[in-house]
Amino acid sequence: MSAGRHARGFERSELLVQARGVTRTYGDVRAVDDMSLEVAPGEIVGLLGANGAGKTTLLRVLLALEAADAGEVEVLGSAPAAVDRHALGYVPQGLGLYTDLSTDQNVEFVAQAYGVAEPPPLPDELAAVRTALVAEIGLGLQRRLAFYCALMHAPRLLVLDEPTSGVDPLARARLWDTIHEQAEAGVGVLVTTHYLQEAAQCTRLEIMSHGRRVAHGTVADITSGREAVVVRGDDWAAVFGALADAGLPVVLDGRTTRVAGTPAADVEAALAGAGVEARTDVVPATLEETMVLVERAGAEA
Amino acid sequence: MRAMMMKEFRELRRDKRTLAMLVALPLLLLIVFGYAANFTVDELKVAVVGSQADAVVDMLEGADGEATGDRTLDVVSSDPGGSDGDARDQLRDDHADLAIVTGDALSDDASGAAPIVYIDGSNLFAAQSANVLMAGLGDQVTSEILYNPDLETSWVMVPALIGLILTFIGTIITSIGLVREREAGTLEQLAVMPFSSSQVILGKITPYFLLACFDMAVVTLLGMWIFGVPFVGSVVAFVLGAAIFLFVVLGLGVLISTVSQTTGQAVQVALMTLLPQVLLSGMIFPLDAMAAGVRWIGYVLPLTWFTKISQGVMLRDASWDYLWLPLVILAVMAVVIFGAATLRLGREISPKGAR
Repeated sequence: MSAGRHARGFERSELLVQARGVTRTYGDVRAVDDMSLEVAPGEIVGLLGANGAGKTTLLRVLLALEAADAGEVEVLGSAPAAVDRHALGYVPQGLGLYTDLSTDQNVEFVAQAYGVAEPPPLPDELAAVRTALVAEIGLGLQRRLAFYCALMHAPRLLVLDEPTSGVDPLARARLWDTIHEQAEAGVGVLVTTHYLQEAAQCTRLEIMSHGRRVAHGTVADITSGREAVVVRGDDWAAVFGALADAGLPVVLDGRTTRVAGTPAADVEAALAGAGVEARTDVVPATLEETMVLVERAGAEA
Repeated sequence: MRAMMMKEFRELRRDKRTLAMLVALPLLLLIVFGYAANFTVDELKVAVVGSQADAVVDMLEGADGEATGDRTLDVVSSDPGGSDGDARDQLRDDHADLAIVTGDALSDDASGAAPIVYIDGSNLFAAQSANVLMAGLGDQVTSEILYNPDLETSWVMVPALIGLILTFIGTIITSIGLVREREAGTLEQLAVMPFSSSQVILGKITPYFLLACFDMAVVTLLGMWIFGVPFVGSVVAFVLGAAIFLFVVLGLGVLISTVSQTTGQAVQVALMTLLPQVLLSGMIFPLDAMAAGVRWIGYVLPLTWFTKISQGVMLRDASWDYLWLPLVILAVMAVVIFGAATLRLGREISPKGAR
């Protein structure tokens, strides 16, 4: 599947999630503010944003765990409260497993709840801990089990809230393999994450800041038009110090220094003002730099 | 060390429940032990039957403190046409603590002899009080203790204990079971699964209901077997009362779980509801011996009413005439508390659409 596949390429009726202008307020706080989102079959839509950006609240609205104060939400063709729950798979941040039951007992409960007569065979790692209490099997395996339980009934829409937090890189890669497999089989996936490497694996991204959508599209869409200035000098420490003193958003990348979202002229002026000699090149901003930039723009708005 | 103390006080100030416990508990204990902790029943309710009833009533009302000690005899009914059976009924349905049978109401072989005084032994402390009084009268009367002739404490305690055990399971265990789901985040998962909210609630509560029923049966049978506690009344009435009472305490447990985020909080709140019930339901301190203000607290507690039913049925074979009031009160509590609890929990786990 091409990474550039857009929800816009689908008929509206095919869309698994369609949210428009969703707003959810708690007292004075707008946790989700005029947020729109679409998920089509076979897509992995990444929901990015800092803690408190409103990602989880948005998921909760889509899952009918909370009601939106305003906006239109349609999930699997109906209002969230009326969604056929057999078509929905959800892995919450806390995993939602019974840690005082064994792996098998958790599987049995979920299978009965969804009316799955013959659950698919357990992956080998999980089969090895069949009778162990879930509390004792380690976070990586717990996450695999939560995935297995969420996928057992072959949902059409998979909602994952930070599915890989606290998992080692190898296990994380394996969980992402599962996510890709599901997407290739036509399942729509909506996933929140903090990890930018994971964001790069999504078909499309929705970046939230303070409850609002501040950027969306593919990684290329989002980073395009955003630039960073790479500064190389003989004395990298002096370069870094000069730019930091000038109050620029400077980051160190090996021995080169990068300044995102600042015109090259400003960077050069800061270097000249401190009497530091260095070369500047304008390059496309990375996703990480873009995140910082849109976050800052979102905060200012 | 000062830093540590400051931190502790600041934490305590945030923890409203612990604060409530720190303030409410000493007050409760003060009130209970000041006004309620009194085993001595000073006021005895008396019913008099038989042809000499009026004369006896006059005598009782004219009697000075010397004859009765510090006790007050409060004549609740006087029925010159009443029979021995009527006198027993007065005790059975807890209208009186003592019933005096006089004149022609006495059975034939006892006629002309001294009046008979029946004492309600299921009302332990009143009975003890009455017993002392009777002993002071010597041969003037014949006294007989009904329903608990040896004034065994266990006979009175076991029926009350059944209620306490049901309260324990219903309130503490149920609220822990539910809060654990919330703590683990599984309650949210259940809400996303293809369950209706009533399926979740019933599926969650039924096991505790069954466990409580099982425990009730075990405690009742063990109490009868080990302590020889009688069960003279209607099993149907007992089961009905216990079932209604269970809905009240299960509802209380669910209600507690909806206001608690952690197991610790749930246990704290549950204990705060359990403690007054132990102390003020008449299980330990007789309601009749409490000051009126405190007694009213007892009357709003469900355990008070269940204890009336369980003691009445098991020891006295109380009639529906007596049982209907506690049953109706418990039923109203059940509807209100269980209804509010399931409504709150249901609102939490049922799907929410856009408003």
